[in-house]
Amino acid sequence: MSYLKIENLVKTYNKTEVVKKLSLEIKKGELMSFLGPSGCGKTTTLNMIAGFLDVDGGKIEVDNESVQHLPPNKREMGMVFQNYALFPHMTVFDNVAYGLKLRKVTKVEIKRRVQEVLEMVRLSGFEKRYPKELSGGQQQRVSLARALVIKPKVLLLDEPLSNLDAKLRQQMREEIVEIQKELGITTIFVTHDQEEALAISDRIAVMFEGRIEQVDTPADIYNHPETDFVSQFIGEVNRVRGKVLEVYENNKCKLFFYGSEQIVSIHSKQNSEIDFFIRPEKIQILTSPSNKGDEIKTIVERKMFLGPKTRYFLKIEDNHIVADISNTMINPNDIHQGSNVFAIWKPEDLLPSRKGR
Amino acid sequence: MLYGNQKIYYLLERVGDSYMKLETGSTINIKKKKKKKKIWDAWLLVIPTLAVFIFFFLIPLFFLFITSFKTFDASTGIGGEWTFQNYIKFISDPFYLGVLWRTVKIGLITTLVTIIISYPVAFQIAKAKGKVKNYLTLLVLSPLLISMVIRCYGWVILLSNNGVINSSLMKLGWIDQPLELLYSEFSVIVGMVHVLFPYMVLSIMGSLERIDTSVLRASQNLGASSLKTFTSVTLPLTLPGIFAGSVMVFSLSVSSFVTPSILGGPQVKVMSYITYEQVAVMLNWPYGGAIGFILIFIATITIVFYSKILSKSKKGVAIQ
Repeated sequence: MSYLKIENLVKTYNKTEVVKKLSLEIKKGELMSFLGPSGCGKTTTLNMIAGFLDVDGGKIEVDNESVQHLPPNKREMGMVFQNYALFPHMTVFDNVAYGLKLRKVTKVEIKRRVQEVLEMVRLSGFEKRYPKELSGGQQQRVSLARALVIKPKVLLLDEPLSNLDAKLRQQMREEIVEIQKELGITTIFVTHDQEEALAISDRIAVMFEGRIEQVDTPADIYNHPETDFVSQFIGEVNRVRGKVLEVYENNKCKLFFYGSEQIVSIHSKQNSEIDFFIRPEKIQILTSPSNKGDEIKTIVERKMFLGPKTRYFLKIEDNHIVADISNTMINPNDIHQGSNVFAIWKPEDLLPSRKGR
Repeated sequence: MLYGNQKIYYLLERVGDSYMKLETGSTINIKKKKKKKKIWDAWLLVIPTLAVFIFFFLIPLFFLFITSFKTFDASTGIGGEWTFQNYIKFISDPFYLGVLWRTVKIGLITTLVTIIISYPVAFQIAKAKGKVKNYLTLLVLSPLLISMVIRCYGWVILLSNNGVINSSLMKLGWIDQPLELLYSEFSVIVGMVHVLFPYMVLSIMGSLERIDTSVLRASQNLGASSLKTFTSVTLPLTLPGIFAGSVMVFSLSVSSFVTPSILGGPQVKVMSYITYEQVAVMLNWPYGGAIGFILIFIATITIVFYSKILSKSKKGVAIQ
């Protein structure tokens, strides 16, 4: 079922392993993102797949054929570079036609295919321009067209949007997904921008220090992070600590959080302390106690109006947390700095930390 | 309510806009003032050089140009009459035309040979990193640290009839008679290439280093072999460097005096040599001036022509 298969991939620089036994399977037509902070090995992995870097161990297979011994020009992979990497001495047409000329396609056919792909990236009429005469977004489109025109087995995108401004970035990523789905091309998208990855990917491989932390759909990555790194790297989280008061059957515990008591599904021991992560938008606030005993008394330190929502900076004992509240739920004018409010959350929204267990 | 909100947003936008205008307007003003001042500062720094260039080069050159249209007077050197005779004399004499052709030919061959031997050297240095790169650059530049005269005599020792090369070849029994290596166009070109190749290496190296590695990777990724990547990406992108180097090497070569004098001798007369003969030996300044100007003219035409050929294939690079 898998189209691109990576098995125990290793890369070592000066005795330091930057990619550590990485394994991953990508389905045909899937858009897989490599997401991670800089230095996590995502670009190194991409360069190994493209053939620009030698593999120090492991296997890379495309369509059940091993490719790690092939030079980059024999791998039939289309790559889009962060800095576009267009040939500055060639026109848009010649840039796009470059790969076709190498494949000895007839002139008529070259012309047809170049026009077709330029239409797809909405650059018809720019054939005679030189790269320097185009804006960043246009250059990136040419770069995409140049990679797509050769009908590669795999499309590799190396932080293709990071040199563009915010608005264009959003527009381009929608275009990329649209084209990718239309052509059904297996794609790897390398990025350090989690919002970008969450927005466009079929699945995301979150990478950290040369390893894959989790491979899942964007929703699962966000809602069910499997490691502490993933929970903290994707989205924003608060860290709260609870103490186990009672242990029940079927993996439930009664926990004590800053003066409130809650029953959480978790396996633990009596009196142990557990760290949890909770996202700012999962916290609700009340201006008066609910009288159910699950609310936590806090002090509003600061608030920040963000249009549709307001971010409240709350102090709970010696811990600081933030809560994002929709302005349709609570009017921010009703809550003043220094006043007492009550924070509540649903026990199922708590993401247990692996370390503090 | 909605209307009210919209109005507020509209007002906010207006205020924002005018604020922006105000701000950008004022910053532009400041920038302009600063720029003007900066330009002045920069010119102040250039003035000494410019003055030397004008007073000790351009003005004398202008006088020499005027002199080249004067008659020759055996007693005073420069006569009082105006004439085109000096130029006509050069153009109508096959000997002088032959010298001109030889000079340009040596210049062109020297340029071509330096390109061919400098490119691989520049390529390796551009690829090298850190200390190795510094050492290699120093190595290439090292010939410039030794006097040109000494280097030329070094070639005399190697190339003369009983020099190192000929005697070794005869000892090996490969030749019976010594090869006529010295005092030929060959020896002049060898000497020139040796003297001038650092300029070419530096120039090509500069343009090689400016090439982004991802552009080369893109070429390979699209299916080009290393060789194909070199011919269709690397080489075209380094044409500006090749051109700059060629202009330097060619002009230094056609105007050089020491190297052809020592390695060419009286058999291989070049333009600078006959200019020297006219000015310093015959004391015919008008004719010497005319020969000098013909050389400048021909060299300029050659460079312009050369740049035309190159620019055909480097359109996009010029923009870069």
